[in-house]
Amino acid sequence: MTNDIALMSAAEQGQLIRTRALSPVELVRACLDRIERHDPILRAYITVCADSALEQARQAEREIAAGQYRGPLHGIPFGVKDQLCTRGIRTTLGSRIMADYVPDRDATAIVRLKAAGAILIGKENLHEFGKGGTHVFPYGQPRNPWNIEHNPAGSSSGSGIAVACGFSSGSLGEDTGGSIRSPAAANGVVGMRPTFGRVSRHGGVMYGWTADTIGPITRSVEDNALFLQTIAGHDAEDPLSSTRPVPDYVSEMRGGVRGLRLAVVREMTWPDGVSPEVRSAMERAIVVLRELGAIISEISLKLAKHAVPLLMLTSDSDIASMMLKRWLRTRWNDFDTGTRSRLAAGCLIPAAVYHRAMRARVLVRREILDALAGCDALLSPTNLNPPGRIDAARETVGSAGDMQNKVLLRRISTYPFSMANVPAIAVPAGQSARGLPISLQIAAKPFDESCALRVAYAYEQATPWHQRHPDLTAIEADAKRLTRSNP
Amino acid sequence: MNLTREQVAALAAAVELDIPEPDLDGVTIRVSALLSAMKAIEDELGADMDAVDPVPPIFPREDF
Repeated sequence: MTNDIALMSAAEQGQLIRTRALSPVELVRACLDRIERHDPILRAYITVCADSALEQARQAEREIAAGQYRGPLHGIPFGVKDQLCTRGIRTTLGSRIMADYVPDRDATAIVRLKAAGAILIGKENLHEFGKGGTHVFPYGQPRNPWNIEHNPAGSSSGSGIAVACGFSSGSLGEDTGGSIRSPAAANGVVGMRPTFGRVSRHGGVMYGWTADTIGPITRSVEDNALFLQTIAGHDAEDPLSSTRPVPDYVSEMRGGVRGLRLAVVREMTWPDGVSPEVRSAMERAIVVLRELGAIISEISLKLAKHAVPLLMLTSDSDIASMMLKRWLRTRWNDFDTGTRSRLAAGCLIPAAVYHRAMRARVLVRREILDALAGCDALLSPTNLNPPGRIDAARETVGSAGDMQNKVLLRRISTYPFSMANVPAIAVPAGQSARGLPISLQIAAKPFDESCALRVAYAYEQATPWHQRHPDLTAIEADAKRLTRSNP
Repeated sequence: MNLTREQVAALAAAVELDIPEPDLDGVTIRVSALLSAMKAIEDELGADMDAVDPVPPIFPREDF
């Protein structure tokens, strides 16, 4: 366990708060101090709610002192991707267009966290409208805390950075194609895309209605289970949320992997373009899981390669259809160039093509569900490469080759599970030679988040990666060096 | 499938979207790539696609 209270897991912090060995006020102040010192460089936050967070922390302290302890997240600070509505706090979606939008309600997931006593500390930076591919971030360029010249991935960029740096104890992200898992992977933390329907979408500005999900980003698998436990469950405000009971994720997480059948997805694990370092990390992860008693096999999902274009042909069109009427026609120049190009493409997909793509999605999903019928979980890397440099990671599309390499191929490891709408978790699984995080992805049957958490927890406990944190003391020197070289 | 800039501009005009000149190449490449990918998917899966309904993959009423 680290001695730095801001970097402890939320479960550890919660234990200390419950026994009154740690004050929520002290914890929130520690997070705010870190934000104040380091976030001008990392740009995880768009809005920091310092005053209200401290007031909530004082209230939590009073409640706990009075014996009104609410549970393991009482007094725990969390952030949310600025795509989720917060009552009385602006919700920008990372866009200039929404700069002045102040909702009059909280998203359901936020309501539930607050009811559990968790403390909202701020709204986190993101790719514009939660779409990947933003070139210029209007609220500051988010940077990877493991190396500030590198990309923190997206679209929930700030949510991954904040958790990795101890700016918050957990975050809520949103994942359509990989927007929780990918930044969790790039920042060396844990990120869960739940099954569609497991967590209410109400209060999220989410137009990708067949794929958008809200889920937690945390520093440990146990924390992920705690956050998911709190936000999961039916919500009458979201007609597509499930009425299934919510299991006890923390208890079920501890079941171990002995005897579990895990299948490595060939096309998502060893494709052209996977880096040698990610390949080696995956090979080591497989050894670890086998030594823990899992039965490992390899499986082919021949249709997985179609997931990226199919989701773009359909989900992008769903989103674009909302943007076209509201803003795309009239405020083109207020969008980032990457966002508007992607949305415009989504607007121009003919309906006949859209519907054929929806039929193809059924086949891709069926292949994944058939695979999961024969095993307990599927494995792959979360990202095929360690986080690239910020300039190289920009999706500038000047040729068909750019479209293939910068847009389609790099998403191949996350989009198939989005398309199948199964739960998938990213867990730290190594570091590159340059010290950048590498991540293992575990996907399970629909509504079997417990299985994904179980595999992730067993792997996490057998490896050291979750105990490593970025060296924030080096960031200021790196930032000065960057400024000197790019005045 | 390689659409021309003019074809993409015409498609955009059909939905009352005026894509400024500097952005037209990027949009053209994206739409062309997605339609090409769909053509390849049709070639591979078209017959199977005919046999399923395009039901969105959402789960509230499904059993697993």
